[in-house]
Amino acid sequence: MKKGYLGKRLLRSVLSVIIIMLIVFIMVYSLVPRDNIFFEDSTYRKLGAKPDDKTNYVYSTWERLGYLDFVNINDYAGTLYEQGSDALAKAIEPDSKETQQFREEYAAQGYTVATYTASGRAYAYKDIPLATRILKWLKDLIQIDTPWAVKDPNNPDLPRYLKFGTTPTGGPALIGSGSVHKYLLYLDSRFPWLHQNIITLNMGKSYPSYQGIEVLTVLFQPQGTEVKRPVTFETGLEQESAIIFGTLTYKETPDRMDRQKFVDNYANFSTQKDQPSMVGTSFIMGIFAMLLAYFLGLPIGVLMAKHKDKLVDKLGMVYIIFIIAVPSLAYIYLFRYIGTNLFNLPSIFTTYGANDVRSWILPTISLALPSIAGLMLWARRYVVDQMNSDYVKFAKSKGLNQSEIFSRHIFKNAIIPIAHGIPASLAGCISGAIITEAIYSVGGMGKMLPRAINQYNNTMIVALAFMFSSISVLAVIAGDIIITKIDPRISLSEKEGRN
Amino acid sequence: MEDNKDLFSFVEFDETRSEHIAAPRYSYWKSVGRTFFKDKFAVGVAIFMILLVAFALIQPMFSGYSPTIAPNINTPELKFLQPSSEHIFGTDNVGNEVFDAVWAGARNSIIISFVCTAINMLIGIPIGALWGFSKKMDKWMIEVYNVISNIPFLLLAMILSYVLGAGFKPLIFTMTCTEWVFVAYFIRTQVMIIRDREYNMASKCLGTSTWTMIMKNILPYLISVIMTYISRMIPSLISYEVFLSYMGLGLGTNHASLGRAISQYTSYMNGYPHLFWIPVSILAIISISLYIVGQKLADAADPRTHR
Repeated sequence: MKKGYLGKRLLRSVLSVIIIMLIVFIMVYSLVPRDNIFFEDSTYRKLGAKPDDKTNYVYSTWERLGYLDFVNINDYAGTLYEQGSDALAKAIEPDSKETQQFREEYAAQGYTVATYTASGRAYAYKDIPLATRILKWLKDLIQIDTPWAVKDPNNPDLPRYLKFGTTPTGGPALIGSGSVHKYLLYLDSRFPWLHQNIITLNMGKSYPSYQGIEVLTVLFQPQGTEVKRPVTFETGLEQESAIIFGTLTYKETPDRMDRQKFVDNYANFSTQKDQPSMVGTSFIMGIFAMLLAYFLGLPIGVLMAKHKDKLVDKLGMVYIIFIIAVPSLAYIYLFRYIGTNLFNLPSIFTTYGANDVRSWILPTISLALPSIAGLMLWARRYVVDQMNSDYVKFAKSKGLNQSEIFSRHIFKNAIIPIAHGIPASLAGCISGAIITEAIYSVGGMGKMLPRAINQYNNTMIVALAFMFSSISVLAVIAGDIIITKIDPRISLSEKEGRN
Repeated sequence: MEDNKDLFSFVEFDETRSEHIAAPRYSYWKSVGRTFFKDKFAVGVAIFMILLVAFALIQPMFSGYSPTIAPNINTPELKFLQPSSEHIFGTDNVGNEVFDAVWAGARNSIIISFVCTAINMLIGIPIGALWGFSKKMDKWMIEVYNVISNIPFLLLAMILSYVLGAGFKPLIFTMTCTEWVFVAYFIRTQVMIIRDREYNMASKCLGTSTWTMIMKNILPYLISVIMTYISRMIPSLISYEVFLSYMGLGLGTNHASLGRAISQYTSYMNGYPHLFWIPVSILAIISISLYIVGQKLADAADPRTHR
């Protein structure tokens, strides 16, 4: 590889991801008709008789979804006068001096000023420009936690420091005060044991499904019911709780219950649950399906090539043709039917849940079926091509035996294009399998994108697009690097003297 | 020995015949045809496939099936009938003949997958060939590929269905507007593999233009690969249409399609399994015969198999 090639390539990939995000932003915020949001909204329908409340509801929903900025005269007058005062009541009326001011001020800022049809009061809105939105999204993406991160006017005496200590469960930790997270770096018994909260990604809050929860929390938090165990809190209180101490974050208004448990303002936490997260579920299933595919598909493909046009080859071809020709919907149902009736396995994942091996068997194998067929097909193709090449004939005439030629020469050459695809299939595990997960009711990632699109969960769509695209762009690079490592003949960069 | 002398006669030296080249005349397409027709199995499947496609194209004209017309919707005794001599494939949830529904669906699915394959190939192959040929173009096309292949397809399909509505043309557009880039990427890799072979270097030194090199030196080499790709693409596009219909983004309610039939009948899987399995089997038969014919054509198109 030429010097600097990788750096330039990474830079171009970042550019690609930004362009993808731009396109996704345009699609989500400009091309999807924004009125569609209210098609299945019961609140919206109930407001049919009250045009003003309806307008208010529509614009405030759009504001929450990130389409526009919205202010009405109530908000404006509320900053000038006290709540409930006569002046406020007078100010919001259509012919008041404040309304005049409001109109002028917001029109000057580029807002469109309009009036509620029934009361004649004023409101104003302005579409958020695409560039602003993207820049803001990128700016908020990476959050670095420092002891100066929390700015709480109600708690001016909040100490600000960093120190080494232990978590209440005994693991060593870097403890911060004044930071959003209490434990910035800590060890505990959960996978992957060492956790950090210093650099976190922020992709916005989910809406309208999983309302108000951070998008990444939705995807990465464990699911199912809480696993409680006896714990001793910082105040000495002993209680059954599912708390994970490492996840404590700052809470502006701790309540009485929090005061009993914690000595400081760090009182928000997530809990241990018995089912893996959406990403985790899809990833576990994907990894095992991938291993199954490589460990079955590759050897069978090689075997088919070795016995080309014999029975093994023909049987293998029948399987490959079946998988290619029959829609996945159909063969997954067929496979599920066989699995449930012949092997007495659960037909849906939720019967036994994630902690029972039986739940995983059918979905994982169903997911592996097409990849096995693909690997068989390509492994066979590449090995057959290599078997016909001159160097193999030469090796044979020099007296090497069949197995030597296979393991030393053919396999090494045939594996190159297959190895190119490994990072991509690894990356594919994260995005989940839409149809397989739907048929077996697996709580994985597959359903997230279609659902987010149906529910106009714009932050979720953007976050998923960002995750999937950056991972797959990296996978393309990783694949290219892998093939240059195993085959030094391949060069990725332009050579001197060639075009 | 000497007795045999009269068996031989003296031949005059003929200048024109000495110039003649002894190799048999070789016509590429004739050889493809000869190789293909030598395989009895391939010919059998091809005839079967042609009959099947012809039947799927003609039968709906006589049945006049449309998913919007349901004359028997109020006659419960005509709903969910099992296959019998009177109702070959039985009847469905609104009392229509499954036989008519399946063939009308097959017709649309076949038309869509053929048209989409043609469009994808016509756009993808030339672009892919140029892309594979030029390393300068590769640098940027790989990013174009990254961008286009990473736009969430479902989101795009959904937006296109808002913007263009449902129907034939929108669906064909949805299934081609990003798909061509995968064809181009595939061709690019294939071209890259043979671009630097000696005969191409020689051709380049002799001053052959890029376009001539692609058309005369490289693409003929790839015909068998391209045929393999096409034979996989046609069935996969039919499956794709099934997937889009399953997600509610297919042809819409006015047109029959196999995808719509399969996704609609999935809910009757447990009570009336024939409703699900008949369209799936028809789809499988069509796809498999198309695939086998494509594979056999790909084999025949490879000049190395010509003798």
